[in-house]
Amino acid sequence: MIQLHNVFMSYQRDATALNGVTLHIPKGDFVFLTGASGAGKSTLLRLLYGALKPTRGQVVVDGQNISRLPPGQIPYLRRGIGVVFQDFKLLPNRTVLENVAITLEVLGWGKKDIGKKVFHILRQMGLEHKINATPLRLSGGEQQRVALARALVNDPRILLADEPTGNLDEENKAQILNFFKEANIRGTTVVVATHDRRLLENGHRRVVVLDKGAIAEDGDVQK
Amino acid sequence: MSRNKPAKRARLANEGVPGRLKYFTARAVANIRQNVFVNVVTVGTITLALLILSLFLLVFVNLEGLADNWSKRVQVTAYFDQEPSPQELGTIRAGIQSLPGTAQVVYVSKEEAVTRFRARLKGQESLLEGVSADILPASFEISLKRESRDSEAVEAYVARLKRIPGVAEMQYGEEWVRRFNTFMNFMRLVGALLGGFLLLAVVFIVSNTIKLTIYSRKEELELLGLVGATRMFIKAPFLIEGVIQGAAGSLLALVILCACYFGFLHNAGNFLSFNPADTGLSFLPAGYLAGIFFGGMLLGFLGSMTSLKRFISI
Ligand SMILES: Nc1ncnc2c1ncn2[C@@H]1O[C@H](COP(=O)(O)OP(=O)(O)OP(=O)(O)O)[C@@H](O)[C@H]1O
Ligand SMILES: [Mg+2]
Repeated sequence: MIQLHNVFMSYQRDATALNGVTLHIPKGDFVFLTGASGAGKSTLLRLLYGALKPTRGQVVVDGQNISRLPPGQIPYLRRGIGVVFQDFKLLPNRTVLENVAITLEVLGWGKKDIGKKVFHILRQMGLEHKINATPLRLSGGEQQRVALARALVNDPRILLADEPTGNLDEENKAQILNFFKEANIRGTTVVVATHDRRLLENGHRRVVVLDKGAIAEDGDVQK
Repeated sequence: MSRNKPAKRARLANEGVPGRLKYFTARAVANIRQNVFVNVVTVGTITLALLILSLFLLVFVNLEGLADNWSKRVQVTAYFDQEPSPQELGTIRAGIQSLPGTAQVVYVSKEEAVTRFRARLKGQESLLEGVSADILPASFEISLKRESRDSEAVEAYVARLKRIPGVAEMQYGEEWVRRFNTFMNFMRLVGALLGGFLLLAVVFIVSNTIKLTIYSRKEELELLGLVGATRMFIKAPFLIEGVIQGAAGSLLALVILCACYFGFLHNAGNFLSFNPADTGLSFLPAGYLAGIFFGGMLLGFLGSMTSLKRFISI
């Protein structure tokens, strides 16, 4: 599903964010990406949804080679990828419902279908009573769930989450992790970037450790 | 062709051009509602810009009309010693008509010249008693095309006219009118330049104001791209919004222009004793009004389009 081959990425000339990363994530896998701040976790995720192109090396996502993908094709790649951004990127002047609906509007769904589907997922996330609130009126955990709902509402083949449990308490963390697991069970390939030890200790999952832009460790954590 | 499609995904209600257009328009209207303030500012700017432009046009059109009126007096009259035979008449007329700059040629026969003379002397017909048609010469009255009405062009025209055999004598326009025409040509150039700069300023100001509208929603633009919207999908509502803003702005400008005109400008001409022949300023012709309206929409459209370029990276 996701393949990186000897990938280098530098924003500026001599500051490399990724340093020869080779990584294979098969379909249906659940991977934690971890490492110190600045190790390149977000950079790696950005490569996967086509926000960046690698300076060198190959990135293949869902059968598409990112460096050779014409710009007109990027939207179609992104439709199969749900992303939970580190800073959420919720639109402050839209309601929760509208924020989640965006993903489906882009696909050209009709109003009725969107309404049903969005309500369904928001109920799963325990947010059905906040449907008409704006994001600024929500708690951090609620905002996080809205962002997750937006990423999952069209049943993406791949889910990417960047630091999804940033400022959450234990209960909220467990809840979010549960949503990831459920999506994974439904067949979505999940990649979660985090430096939250707690999250990693939570199960038998594959953990990839990045250090200064290179893979330092790649294996199953047994606890 | 089968009408049944596999129902794998939800039906795309917004597919097809009309569906899309409806969706995008709804989106644009929702955007305007959500950002009333920025939109009011933008529409206001477009209104003011177009109003200034239309006032400029109003002045220009009136000056043009005035100039045209006056310059109609630039006429060349070619006299004959003898009344020409119909055959000669035809050749000479053809010769004159083939000269560059000729707009219209009217033949005035001796009889007609006398009739006109009589009309002028109405009430004093007794003066003309016993006068035969012979004393007044027959003539061609030639009116010139607009671009040939200034001093130099008239001189050149007359020189060419002289070469046509059979024409004995010529008389042409009043000197001041020709000077005025030379001056008007200069003014037209200045007007075109001024108008050009004004238009440029308007485009610049409007596109910058629209940039504000778009800048205030750059997060939305970014997010749409990230969830897989095509460039067209992101742009369309903004372009429609631009067209709506342009239409609203130009309509408002036209309403204010009408109000100004019918309120006080229409008799300002008398006040300035601007154009003694006419009664006051004339309003813009319908073509210009339509031009302003569609120009406004185009302005909004182009303003949005150029501003969007900077914010859409996919
Ligand atoms: N937009 C950018 N322009 C220039 N340099 C950048 C940019 N984004 C990241 N970097 C640099 O690239 C390197 C990797 O950054 P990245 O954001 O991928 O780290 P991270 O592992 O996600 O860190 P964190 O855990 O703090 O989110 C860092 O040295 C950072 O300074
Ligand atoms: Mg990061």
